[in-house]
Amino acid sequence: MKRNLRFFFALFFAKGTALVLKLIGRKGTSMPGSWAIILCPDFLGRMPRPKTVVGITGTNGKTTVANMVEDVLSHCGYDFVCNRSGTNVNTGVASSLIANSTFFGKPKKDLAIFELDERSSPKILPYLKPDLLLCTNIFRDSYKRNAHMEFIVDILQQYIPESTRLVLNADDLLCASLKPQNHRSFFGIDRQPGETAQCRNIVQDIRVCPNCGAALSWEFIRYHHIGRASCPQCGFCSPQAGYRVTQIDADENTMTVDCHGHQQKFPMLNSSTINIYNSLSAIALLSQFGLSTEKIAASMEKLSISETRYKEEEVDGKKVILHLAKGQNPIACSRAFENIRDYPGKKAVILFLDDYFDAAHSVENISWYYDTDFEFLNNPDIPQIIAAGARHWDVCLRLLMAGIPPEKISHTAENHQAAELLSKEGIDAVFILYDVYTIGLANQVKDQTKALLSGGKSAGEQQRA
Amino acid sequence: MAIKIEILFPEFCNLFGDMSNMLYLQRCLPQGEFVKTPFSEEPLFLRERPSLVYLGPMTERTQEKVIEKLRPYKERLWQLIEEGVCFLFTGNALEVLGEYIETEEGKRLPALALFQLHAKRDMMHRHNSTFLGRLGQEEVMGFKSQFTMAFAPPDYHPFLEVVKGVGLHEKCKTEGIRYKNFVGTYLLGPVLILNPCLTKLLLTQMGLPQAELAFASEIESAYRQRLKDFHAKT
Ligand SMILES: [Zn+2]
Repeated sequence: MKRNLRFFFALFFAKGTALVLKLIGRKGTSMPGSWAIILCPDFLGRMPRPKTVVGITGTNGKTTVANMVEDVLSHCGYDFVCNRSGTNVNTGVASSLIANSTFFGKPKKDLAIFELDERSSPKILPYLKPDLLLCTNIFRDSYKRNAHMEFIVDILQQYIPESTRLVLNADDLLCASLKPQNHRSFFGIDRQPGETAQCRNIVQDIRVCPNCGAALSWEFIRYHHIGRASCPQCGFCSPQAGYRVTQIDADENTMTVDCHGHQQKFPMLNSSTINIYNSLSAIALLSQFGLSTEKIAASMEKLSISETRYKEEEVDGKKVILHLAKGQNPIACSRAFENIRDYPGKKAVILFLDDYFDAAHSVENISWYYDTDFEFLNNPDIPQIIAAGARHWDVCLRLLMAGIPPEKISHTAENHQAAELLSKEGIDAVFILYDVYTIGLANQVKDQTKALLSGGKSAGEQQRA
Repeated sequence: MAIKIEILFPEFCNLFGDMSNMLYLQRCLPQGEFVKTPFSEEPLFLRERPSLVYLGPMTERTQEKVIEKLRPYKERLWQLIEEGVCFLFTGNALEVLGEYIETEEGKRLPALALFQLHAKRDMMHRHNSTFLGRLGQEEVMGFKSQFTMAFAPPDYHPFLEVVKGVGLHEKCKTEGIRYKNFVGTYLLGPVLILNPCLTKLLLTQMGLPQAELAFASEIESAYRQRLKDFHAKT
């Protein structure tokens, strides 16, 4: 698309907005991009793009993976533009491109790394035309925004350009079915001990062959629809992965990846399967980008998981763990519940599941509780579960439906009183599950919990005393 | 009387935690038999007269398959509805029994035409809303999340009166269809857990008015609290 008068007007207005925002000390907003798109709706199509554009999309893990990819590239000396401090929708991408441009809009840097919201694909992909695009996975997500997986698969299928090289999850048949005509590379994790053909989750969004509709035969199911399958009727099967985790060494904190026949050890930041997938997908993307696996491995030694997503602290030999669990995302929460179950020792769990905005101004659609595996919390090693927030009665009911004995459950409408319901007897660790918007609250409750565990009385006990 | 509940195509028609309705009924009716009919099999209602037939929400492509799957059994379905068998269809399952579904391109996909209702799809504008309605003396709450709006003639058999939110379509003051013991509603997710009065109605229609609600006190407290919030915040 050509740059016209309207485009330049939008660009200059957006640059002016960015300048004003900078002068008043506001960073990382998507406002310049929003203005540009309001003034010139096809702005992204007219804005000159950097020479190479790499996109990272998918339901879960895209922020973590994008951060990892950016850190490795920085460490290897690449200079690039990214939307790390902004948003992953069209206005965020536009803002990043504007910030990276000269007065007349020409890109200053030749490389762009963008985390891209999959739901926003129609407004981004046809214009940005990424050279390389990673799709981490496709799962059920917010019912409001993402509707259902078929809807997301369809828009990706429709809007990913033919020229885009794809890096896809071989263990996710929804993801692996994208754009069969494009150049594609796959990553996967080999079958692990204990993995069977039985699905232990409520949600499993692929059950039949996408080609012929026959029931799939599963070699193993890791969780939900992640695993390897084949069709007994037409021969369809999960693709072979060019990047395969063949060995996981939890003691040494390393994983071995077979990269197209070449074995390479990589550091493992965290042994949860989700994090192994995140690292693996970053490795596959960076390798397809052109970095050597040795170089990627060396750079990954320097990384750590962003502290806002998972944070362990210790007090008097007991752990207090902040664990992000994206609200209205049944898969992310199910994974968090499974992590809690598998964590060593006796655990108490504090749940802040309310949608921050809905709790304030509306009533949240709590249907997603019933797609979420609360059943993982029904475990002898989890003697206490505390639910706090506007929908605490609904969470309590969900826990009862999961078969959790009522004496293990306590709940309150008052978020700040959650820690008061905690009893430190027989507990080795306390998990606090929170959503992105409730990090402040989670930190406060974490401090209250630490005070309680360190021998002090809880705020409630102090008051009663 | 033996209680037999048929759940149609639970492997696909379960997009929004909807199977929880049946899990909850199971808690209320521990002696009941719950039969899951997979898409590849012949429905139980052809051979037997179940106490309840349940169908939950599905994707658009699945909807088209389900319509074709059920088309040969159309007369049998109508016979059972006329005879007073209980049905619960939630979310866009109701559209399967309407006259047609109109796509964005204006194409009409013929449905089973048991009810005078048709739906229009708009895939780029998803409708999300909270809903509060009246069922006689009781209030029913729920959530809508859908790509369609539905239209029915003025003399159709509505299920709920709209108090807050949107009925079959934006200007419609009624929601869903209730004909004899058939209940179809666009409300999705755990409608029976959200509304103990609805579970009671269903159990009564199934001839089990004395059946106890599972977790009765918690479900009532959750209902009261939520109802308060629906009145105050929606
Ligand atoms: Zn097949």
